Amino acid sequence: MESEPFEREKHVTFLEMMYRLLPHQYQTQEINRLTLAYFVVSGLDLLRALHRIDKDAVADWVLSLQARPSDSDQVNNGQFYGFYGSRSSQFSPQDDNNGASSSGISNLASTYCALAILKIIGYDLSSIDSESLLKSMRNLQQPDGSFMPIHTGAETDLRFVYCAAAICHMLGNWSGMDKERAKEYIINCQSYDGGFGLTPGAESHGGAIYCGITSLRLMGFLEEDVLSKNVSSSIVNVPLLLVWCLQRQAADGGFQGRPNKPSDTCYAFWIVSVLKILGGHKLIDQKALRGFLITCQSQYGGFSKFPGDLPDLYHSYYGFTAFSLLEEPGLNPLCVELGMTDLAAIGI
Amino acid sequence: MSSSSSSSDEEGQWVPLRSRPEFSDVIPVEQDDGPNPVVPITYKEEFRETMDYFRALYKADERSLRALNLTSEAIQFNPGNYTVWHFRRLVLEALNHDLHDELALTEHIAQGNSKNYQLWHHRRWVAEKLGTSATTEELRFTKNILSIDAKHYHAWSHRQWVLQALGGWEDELDYCHQLLEEDIFNNSAWNQRYFVITRFLGGLKAMRESEVCYTLNAIVARPENESSWRYLRGLYKDDNSSWVNNPQISSVCLEILNAKTNCVFALSTLLDLISHGFQPSQEFADAVDALRISDSEQRDSDVAKAACFVLESVDPFRANYWQWYKNKHFQNA
Repeated sequence: MESEPFEREKHVTFLEMMYRLLPHQYQTQEINRLTLAYFVVSGLDLLRALHRIDKDAVADWVLSLQARPSDSDQVNNGQFYGFYGSRSSQFSPQDDNNGASSSGISNLASTYCALAILKIIGYDLSSIDSESLLKSMRNLQQPDGSFMPIHTGAETDLRFVYCAAAICHMLGNWSGMDKERAKEYIINCQSYDGGFGLTPGAESHGGAIYCGITSLRLMGFLEEDVLSKNVSSSIVNVPLLLVWCLQRQAADGGFQGRPNKPSDTCYAFWIVSVLKILGGHKLIDQKALRGFLITCQSQYGGFSKFPGDLPDLYHSYYGFTAFSLLEEPGLNPLCVELGMTDLAAIGI
Repeated sequence: MSSSSSSSDEEGQWVPLRSRPEFSDVIPVEQDDGPNPVVPITYKEEFRETMDYFRALYKADERSLRALNLTSEAIQFNPGNYTVWHFRRLVLEALNHDLHDELALTEHIAQGNSKNYQLWHHRRWVAEKLGTSATTEELRFTKNILSIDAKHYHAWSHRQWVLQALGGWEDELDYCHQLLEEDIFNNSAWNQRYFVITRFLGGLKAMRESEVCYTLNAIVARPENESSWRYLRGLYKDDNSSWVNNPQISSVCLEILNAKTNCVFALSTLLDLISHGFQPSQEFADAVDALRISDSEQRDSDVAKAACFVLESVDPFRANYWQWYKNKHFQNA
């Protein structure tokens, strides 16, 4: 199984199809259309096929989703001036009355995706008006250090700490968040078993661990490759986390998100990324992982969550990232902290 | 769950909004995707039309009963759209609507897809407003979801919030026990035990003795269960000397090693104990030696090193790790 080919051409075709038109099954995800676009753009870049999209058109579309304060607005009115996930949350305040409800609701996760896409296609981020973005982003940070994704009220958890940290990192400006408080929140999310839950007290979870560790790394609180350097971290129990992550490789070779759960394509990315940051990704059984991922590779292109299911954009993207981490020939290397190719992260 | 009777006709077919008299004055607002949209979606007609009418009422900031009903429909089609949920909350407040209906609505939507953050946030918003009168209902609701999927992350998250914000934790440890009786491998239930003992029942030191006893029983029953081993270790968080000095633990490890099946966690726990100063007796050396796969392998006098060799064979996916561990901890490996 593990020697079967990675069907690069089919995957490129799959992404191109999604780029042009998404079937109606995706309508329930339309609030996060920018995220879907991110999967397509970053996926094509990983597959060395970014030339297949119209970068100018993509830049125009992404920029059209930026929230801007009107002249009369104070940036500290509590609203967040980031990027909308789609037109369905984008309403221009100058249309009608001045009721707060009729204005748009931009989103931290969409903002991360927007900036990531722009960075990937080589758009100069310094030409974005980031002042109102960063100033208003601070309003989303909670007293406990976590972030709310939208100013109108939502759940707060580690996912949005990650978005905030990645946004600040990409813009080269940390005025958008209080790093110390964010660090405290991440530490409070560390579980008794060495992993991290999405919120303090929650069960350790692959996605949460990715968000926690990459955030610490981006904010400068975690050294790279602690395992090889034989140093310890004062804030993360690295040996315990290492063991937890490695134990996530299940009997079928795939990675599970939590103990005693089935393997799922995407956890290959979330968990192996963390291992890469710690310096331990070579300790996994790469052959066995590749074997599992191949069973999730669809004959139509893309990857599914579980073997034999139909492919979806999310699991396809994380399937590609997993193959990049496995150093599959023909794929670009990945910058795990920012969720894009190394080249895009550096800015070439 | 729309209280408007005209959302479907006599045959239960969806009635287009443009055909409904109560919306006859509304001019739907189409989505403006711009000239070159990326990843455009092929919306189904009902979805598109519902969102067009929603946009109209939202822009007009109309906080009316028909707006409330429309958000119900929009939510059914598009439960991830937080703009719709947000507007619904504004309308509910403006109308001073009975929030108990919201509990029923969210329960209904959860039946379709319960893995939706907006749904759970709305539920929490309602519960916050209802206060402690909602405690029993929230615990029942999450218990219901967990009876279908005992590891449902959103349900556990909501349940933890309820216990902290509204109370009701007195029976929680017992509930965890019930879940573990049904499935001792349920890592979420183990995690909840830790949550309960640390936040409500006096903390680790106070609960340690009884919890260690409980956990060791679980370990002996299913030594291959990672969750119980991790929980056991977690009971000694920040207290390695108590961990090393509890003879019950090494004793259980020995028991499992001698049984010769499902030894992986017993071996790794033994390694952990040794790394914190535990001195293994000859019994341990013999037990580990008996697990050697091949007789041609040299018998190692160092129990820990010998354990690493065994683990390379019996835990093959982590063979690289055990080699690395051995090289790191034993200079002349």
